[in-house]
Amino acid sequence: MGWLDANLISLLNGVALAGLLFLVAVGLSLVFGTMDVLNLAHGAVSLLGAYLGVALLDPGHGLGAYALAALVAMVCGVAAGLLLTVLTQGVRDHLRQALLTLGVALVAADLLREAFGADVRSVPPPALLDGSVDLAGQTYPTYRLWVIGASTVVGLVLYVLLERTQMGAVVRATVADRAMVEALGIRTSWVLGGVFGLGAGLASLGGLMASPVLGAQPGLDNTVLLLALVVVVIGGLGSIRGAVLGALLVGEVQTLGVSLLPEQASFLLFGAMALVLLVRPAGLLPSAFSPAVTAR
Amino acid sequence: MKRWLPMLGGIAVLLVLAALPLLLTAYPVSVASRILAFALLVVSVDLLTGLTGLPSLGQIAYFGVGAYTAGLVGIHWTSNLVVQLGCGVAVALVVAAVTGALAVRTSGVVFLMVTLAIGELTHRVADGMTLVGASNGLAGIPGPTLLPGGEPIVLVGYLYWWVLAVSVLGFTAAVIVSRSPLGRSMRAVRESPTRLAAVGQRGYAVKLVAYAFAGALAGAAGTAWAVQARFVSPGDIAFSVSALALLSVVLGGAGTLWGPVLGAAVVVLVRDWLSGYLDGHGELVLGLLFVVAVFLLPRGIAGARAWRPAVAPPSAPHSLGSIA
Amino acid sequence: MTRRPARRLRRPAVAAGLIALTVAVTGCGNSLSDASASSDELKIGLVVPASGVYEPLGTDLTRGFELYLDEHDGKLGGKDVTVVKADEGEGPDTGVPATSKLVTQDRVSALVGIVNSATALGVKDVVTQNKVPLIVANAGANDLTDGSPYLWRTSFTNGAIGASLGQEVADQVGGGSVYVIAADYAAGHEYADGFKSAFEAAGGKIAGESYTPFGTTSDWQPFLTKAKSSGAKAVFAFYAGAEAVGFVKQYSAFGLAGKLPLYAAGFLTEGGVLAAEGKDALGIRTSLHYSNLLDTPENKTFVEAYTAAYDAPPTVYAVQAYDAAAVLDQALATSDAVDGEAIAKALSNVGEVDSPRGAWSFDDDHNPAQPYFLREVEATDSGFGNVVLSTLAE
Repeated sequence: MGWLDANLISLLNGVALAGLLFLVAVGLSLVFGTMDVLNLAHGAVSLLGAYLGVALLDPGHGLGAYALAALVAMVCGVAAGLLLTVLTQGVRDHLRQALLTLGVALVAADLLREAFGADVRSVPPPALLDGSVDLAGQTYPTYRLWVIGASTVVGLVLYVLLERTQMGAVVRATVADRAMVEALGIRTSWVLGGVFGLGAGLASLGGLMASPVLGAQPGLDNTVLLLALVVVVIGGLGSIRGAVLGALLVGEVQTLGVSLLPEQASFLLFGAMALVLLVRPAGLLPSAFSPAVTAR
Repeated sequence: MKRWLPMLGGIAVLLVLAALPLLLTAYPVSVASRILAFALLVVSVDLLTGLTGLPSLGQIAYFGVGAYTAGLVGIHWTSNLVVQLGCGVAVALVVAAVTGALAVRTSGVVFLMVTLAIGELTHRVADGMTLVGASNGLAGIPGPTLLPGGEPIVLVGYLYWWVLAVSVLGFTAAVIVSRSPLGRSMRAVRESPTRLAAVGQRGYAVKLVAYAFAGALAGAAGTAWAVQARFVSPGDIAFSVSALALLSVVLGGAGTLWGPVLGAAVVVLVRDWLSGYLDGHGELVLGLLFVVAVFLLPRGIAGARAWRPAVAPPSAPHSLGSIA
Repeated sequence: MTRRPARRLRRPAVAAGLIALTVAVTGCGNSLSDASASSDELKIGLVVPASGVYEPLGTDLTRGFELYLDEHDGKLGGKDVTVVKADEGEGPDTGVPATSKLVTQDRVSALVGIVNSATALGVKDVVTQNKVPLIVANAGANDLTDGSPYLWRTSFTNGAIGASLGQEVADQVGGGSVYVIAADYAAGHEYADGFKSAFEAAGGKIAGESYTPFGTTSDWQPFLTKAKSSGAKAVFAFYAGAEAVGFVKQYSAFGLAGKLPLYAAGFLTEGGVLAAEGKDALGIRTSLHYSNLLDTPENKTFVEAYTAAYDAPPTVYAVQAYDAAAVLDQALATSDAVDGEAIAKALSNVGEVDSPRGAWSFDDDHNPAQPYFLREVEATDSGFGNVVLSTLAE
C-alpha cells in the first residue's frame, strides 16, 4: 500500500506539472499550428511573466494582488505577441523565423538579466494557497492543486472560444481559407495578430503561475521553451486537445517516470519524445486545420 | 575570367588562412582554430539543412562522438593525428548511419525534434559516462604527433595548420558531394520528392547517405576540436552549441556551404571574442545581429552577393511544416 | 557586364578587410615559437564567471579579491599589481579558452579564480605547462591539486565538507539511518561519498540514495517521497544555486521540513540562495568553513569593511578570494622575482593565513587545512542567516 500511496502523489504531481506545461505550450501550439510561425521567443515571454511575479508579488499577498499580477502578465504577454506579429510579418521561411525569434529571445533574456540580476529569485504563492493538504497520508502543496484547477479552467475557456464562438470560427476559417475570409471583409492580419497575442499572453500567464514552483532565473526561458516544444510536437500542432495530451504525457514522464526509473531519469523525456515521433510523426492529436497537415 | 573568380577567391582565402600563424600571436590563432572546427560542423549541418531540406539539431552528437573518440584514442592508444582522425570519422559515420536510419524516416519539424532528441541524449550520455570523464570532461589528452614516433606538437601555430588541413579537406569533400549526382538528388529531396521518385530514386536512400556523410564530416570536425583544445567536455556538445550551429547556417545562407562558414565565424567571434569587451553582453549583441540579419540579409551573408554561386542557392523557402 | 562583379565584390571585401584589420591590430605577432616575454609589470589574472548561472559567485569572488587590494593600496607583497579579468562563463568550453587567453596572451604571472571544477581540471595542464600558478578560489574537486606544483587552493575539497558531517549526524540520529540525495555530477558524488564514508565509519547506516539529473531537475517530489518512505531519521543533501532553492522550497512544501532533519553542505543555504529560500530554510543545518555570522573579531572587522564597500554581507566565496589575495601577498613579499616559477616556489613557503574564517595553512596537497563549522539557519535582525553552532571535529 505504501508503494501505491507514494506513486499516487507522483501521479497527481504529474498532472500539476502538466497544468503548468499546458498553459505555456498551448500558445506555442496555436501560433505554429494555425499561423505557421515558429516562435522561439516563447520561453522569453514566459520568463517575463515569471519576473513580473517577482516584481509584483510580495510574501503573504492576497488573491487580489495575485489576480492583478495575472492581468498585468497577460497584458504584457499580449503586447509582446503583437510586437512579434509585426516583426514576423513578411518572414515566411521557418528557419528565418527561428533566427529572428531566437534573436529577440536573446535580447529579451539579456534585458531581463540586467533588470533583475543573475541571482535565482523565488515568488511566494498567495497567502491563502501557501500551505499543504493531507492526501492519503501524504502532504501535498495547496498551490499545485490550484494550478491543476486553474489550467483546466483556462483550457476549457480556450476550447469554448475556439470551437463554439464566432471569433473562433473566424480564426479557423482564416487558417483554412484566408482569401475567402478576406473576401468577406474581415481583416485577416488582425485575426492572426489576435492569435499571436493570445498565445503570448497565455505564455506570460503560464510563467507567472509557474513562478512559485519554478522560480525565476536567467536560463529558465530556454528550459521552458524546450519543454514547450516537446509538448507541442508530442501532442500535435495546432490542437488544444493535443496540447493537453502532450502536457500530460510530459508531466507524467517527468514525475511518475522519474519515480519509477530513477537511473534513467535524464533520458526519459527525450527518449519518450523520440519514441512517439517515430511511431506517430504528426503527434498524438494533430489539429485538422493546421497548415502542416492541410498543405500539399 | 569570371568562371575562375570563385577558384581564385578560394585560393586567396586559403593563403590568408594558412599565413595566420605567421602574423598573429597564440591566442587569436587558437580562436581561429576553434572557428575552423566549428565551421566544419556548421558545413555538415548545411549539407542536411540547406541542401537536403532536413533541418538538423543533431549533428552535435556526431561531433561529440568524433571528439571523444579522438580523445580516447589519444589517451589509450596512439597520439598520431591521422589515426585519431580516422577513428573519429569512422565511429561517427557508423553512429550516424545507425541513428539516421530511424531519423530520416521523418521530415520537417518532426525531423528537427528527432535530431534534437539525438543531440540531447548524446549530451546526457556523455555527461554520465565515466569512460569519458562524465561531467568533468576528458582531460589529459597527450600532445598529438604527426609522424609515427615523432615529437608531440604543442605549439598553437602547428596545431592550427592541422585543423586548417582537416577543415579544408572536409569542406572540399562537401563541395564535391554537392556538385555530384548525389548532391543533385539531395536537392531534389528538398525541392520535389515526387519528381525524385519519378526518376526511380528512393528518397529514403538518398537521405540516409546524406545523413551518414554529414555525420562523418561532423565527426572530423570533432576530432579537430579535440586536437586543438586537448580537452573535451559535455559542455562542448550542449544544446546551445547545436542551436548556434543551425543559426549560423541560416545567418550565412543555407545551401551555399561557404556562406555558413562565414556565419560560423561571425557567431564565434561575437560570442567568444567580442563579448570579452562587452562586459558579458555578448548574447545581447548576437541577438541584435540575428534580428538585423533577417531583415537586411534575407538570403544570408552568401545571398548578399549571389554571383556565380558555387552551389545553387536555396530556391524555395524552408518550410518545417511538411510532415508528409 | 564587367562592372557587376566588381560592385558585388565591394561590400563583402570591405567587411573582410575590416575584420582582418581589427584582428591584426589586437593580435600581431608570431605563434610558431615559444617566445615567453616576461615583463617587469606584475599582472594577476582573475578568471571568474561574469555570465551564466555562476555569475553571482563571480561577483562575490571579485569583490573579495578587490577588497583586499583596496585595503593594501593595490599592492601585493609591496609590489604594484595590475588585475586582468576574464570571464570563466558556465563551463570548460568558455573557461578553458578564457584562462588560456590570460596565460598566453596577457602573460599574467599568477591566476586566481575558477568556480567550476570541470574547468579547473581542464586548465590544469595549461597552467602547469606554462608555469603559471593558479590559486583556485572555489572549485572543489577532490584531486584537483594533486601532482602539480602550480595548483593551490584557498577554498575547500568536496569530500572534506561531506565528511565533516559524518560524526555529527551519526550522533544526532543515534542508531537510525540517513537518506542521501545529491545532484548527479562529479561534485555531487564527491560530497555524498565523503559523507557516507565518515558516517558509516561512525557506525551509521544509509537508508537509500538518490542522484538527481544535474541542472535539469525542477521537481524533487519523487525523490522526497522516496526519502520519506525509506524510514530514515535524517537527510543529507548537496545542492547549490538554483537547485538548492528548488530543493529547499519543495522540502518544505511536501511536508518534510521540521519532521525530517536536513543536513547539507553549506552551499545549500549560502548567499543569495538563502534570500530566495526565506523561511523554508529555517532549521537546516549545514557544514561550511565560513559563515558571515561567525563571532570572531577578525570576521567582524571583515564583515564591516565588506558591507561598507558593497552594501551586502560577505559570503564564503568572497572570503575565499580575499584569502587568495592574502596568500599572494605573503608569497610576493618573500620573492623578488615576479615570474610564475618564482611565485610558485614562494607559495610553498607561505605560513599561516590570517583569515576571517580563522587561521589556516596549506596542507601537503596545497589545500587549506581548516575547521568546518556546524551552522543552522535562523531568523536574525537582517533577515535569515547561518548561525554558527559549533566547530565540527576534523
